[in-house]
Amino acid sequence: MTRKIMLVEDDQPILDMMDIILRRIGYEPVLVPDVLDALERVKSDPPALILLDIMMTPMNGWEFLEKLRTEYGNKDLPVILFTASPSVQEKIAVMKDPNLGVLQKPVSIPELKAGIERFLGK
Amino acid sequence: MGEKVVRILRHTLTETDLVRIFVIFSLTVSCILITWLSFSLPFFMITTPLFFIPIIYAVYFFQKRGLYVAGICAVVFQAIGYYYSFPEPLALVSISAEAILFVLIASIITYFIEQIRAGEARYRTVFEHSQLGILLFDAATFSINQTNEKFAHMLNYSPEEITKKTVLDVLLTPREKSRFLERIGKQKTTENFETRFATKDGASCWVNLSWDHIDDKTVSCSVMNINTRKLAEKLNNDNMMKYRQLTESSPTSILIVQNGYIRFANPSFSAFLGYTAAEITGKDLGTFIDPRDAESFAEFSSQWGQKLPSPLAKEFRFITKDGELRGGGIFTTPIRHLDNPATLINLVDISERQRLEERIHRDNEHRRGIIVTVAHELRTPLQPILGYLNLLISDPESYGIKDDAKKILERCLVSVDRERQIINQMLDLSILESGKFHLSCSEFPLAPLVKRVLDEGGYATKAELTVAIEDSVMITADMDRLYSILEALLTNAVNYSKSPRKIGIFYRSGIEDKQHHIAIRDNGVGIPQDQFTSIFEPFQLVDGTVLSRKYERLGLSLSIVKKLVQMHGGDITVESVVNAGSTFTIHIPRDQEVHHDA
Repeated sequence: MTRKIMLVEDDQPILDMMDIILRRIGYEPVLVPDVLDALERVKSDPPALILLDIMMTPMNGWEFLEKLRTEYGNKDLPVILFTASPSVQEKIAVMKDPNLGVLQKPVSIPELKAGIERFLGK
Repeated sequence: MGEKVVRILRHTLTETDLVRIFVIFSLTVSCILITWLSFSLPFFMITTPLFFIPIIYAVYFFQKRGLYVAGICAVVFQAIGYYYSFPEPLALVSISAEAILFVLIASIITYFIEQIRAGEARYRTVFEHSQLGILLFDAATFSINQTNEKFAHMLNYSPEEITKKTVLDVLLTPREKSRFLERIGKQKTTENFETRFATKDGASCWVNLSWDHIDDKTVSCSVMNINTRKLAEKLNNDNMMKYRQLTESSPTSILIVQNGYIRFANPSFSAFLGYTAAEITGKDLGTFIDPRDAESFAEFSSQWGQKLPSPLAKEFRFITKDGELRGGGIFTTPIRHLDNPATLINLVDISERQRLEERIHRDNEHRRGIIVTVAHELRTPLQPILGYLNLLISDPESYGIKDDAKKILERCLVSVDRERQIINQMLDLSILESGKFHLSCSEFPLAPLVKRVLDEGGYATKAELTVAIEDSVMITADMDRLYSILEALLTNAVNYSKSPRKIGIFYRSGIEDKQHHIAIRDNGVGIPQDQFTSIFEPFQLVDGTVLSRKYERLGLSLSIVKKLVQMHGGDITVESVVNAGSTFTIHIPRDQEVHHDA
């Protein structure tokens, strides 16, 4: 099973940091700074999991998730949302979608590790 | 007039009267003698008309009593005539007729004189007792010939003093003099000429003059004192001016409405609606109200007649002449207008206020948007810092980090984490303030929640804990928010006290106020009483000064706690003694509504 994890995040320093941390905890990061490229990349190079920032332009994390799940019909790919402070919207989304997780920013290394392992196993 | 008086028998006579009586007596005796001579002598003498001299003299001065003289004359004349002419019948008849003529003429004269005297007395009474001042003055020189006492007293003069003056002397100002001269030059007869006379001491006295020329030389003039009326008029005018100025320059609209119709509207109301005063007066006030408010306006106006301790007030939408909507706050007071019940309306233009409120609301929204963006922008760069620090600290050996360096990095991590917390709180607060945040309440037991907060925060290792909450206590609240509230208060309790820390959590159910009271007590630094209110304000300026750094974080988290408690319909209070400890108590209503968001 692939250890590829796609990180959709428009802030370069965070991408750089996550790159290091993900490698450190044994995964193979695929960095996608532009959300508009992300769907193509999912098709061409499917990852095992997507780490998705919510506050992005021109498309936010929710819109991307909606496209992924409905337009591309990809309901099985695990997605972990990075949220500033979890709201009701996120809680409900998580309840409805078994392949969706939420992590609150900034995430600590053990939290990130546990969050990913929930979907991919150790 | 000091004339000497003589008393004869029962009659009181003046010296003049005595002289007159003597003259009459002499004349009568003379007439009798002449008559006697003329009858006794053979030649004819004119005798009869002579008797008229004493008779007329007597009746003129003594009226009825003068008739005695006429009687005596008639009897004597007849006696002498009969004595000499008897028994010639023609002569006897003529003598009798002449004797009767004496009495007749005397009676007629008496009658007329009495009439004249009575008329004169009447006019004199009128003149002397008149409530009007009356004066007669010279048409050419205006010197006052005669006045009654009333006029003299009107100007505080004695009647003697005033007759030495001219009309021009008593006119107050040169202007009044020229007005008087102009009028009297034009009109021989004038009514209601109002002017001002000067009293003896120079004060002004308003008078109303009416005059008429009696003859070429004399003018009769009546003078009415109108001082009181003029004063009242002046007062009235002053009051009217005052009210006029008040209403016309008032920035609020002032209306008098009677039976729904506008009787009076000041310029502010005209300006408010854009109509002229003429277009407004007489109209139904309801026609200017927006149809959507018509019903509530009708209900409101039905209460206007009632006597209430304070003015009725309500806000309505008005339609201006240009068709625009303007908000107006109406305050009504029942009054009387032209002796009928009416309503005084003060109308305050609130459209400007509404515009301002809308702008403030928009500005606040905008500001919150900025805060959210700024907080996000501030937080984003913190993430890599936190991530890298965590990475280094979690595996120092592989990065070649020694223990000293690790300690420094750990301190960096604490500071960065604190910064992250402040930014998060700022964001939380602005979300709470936006009103877009809603609670999701449910009923749950309180004790397990408190235990979870204490366990997850590891408070047992930081302080000696006392928890007094019965297991049976059920509370209805937003569980996550109550968790945050308790956590924030416990964090403060730990942060603002030193070892050995003692923290107590106590629960009490209010019987009277139907509230849950949850108190968190510490033995920390305490809070000065003058900051009991300001600690709940967000960490900005209080009384123009920045809260001391010591309370900065406390202030922000407490302001969030307060907002959250208030969203539950409750409140938070603090009791504190400096250097002894503080007790924060949250009060949450027991009858909280259970509702679930979406």
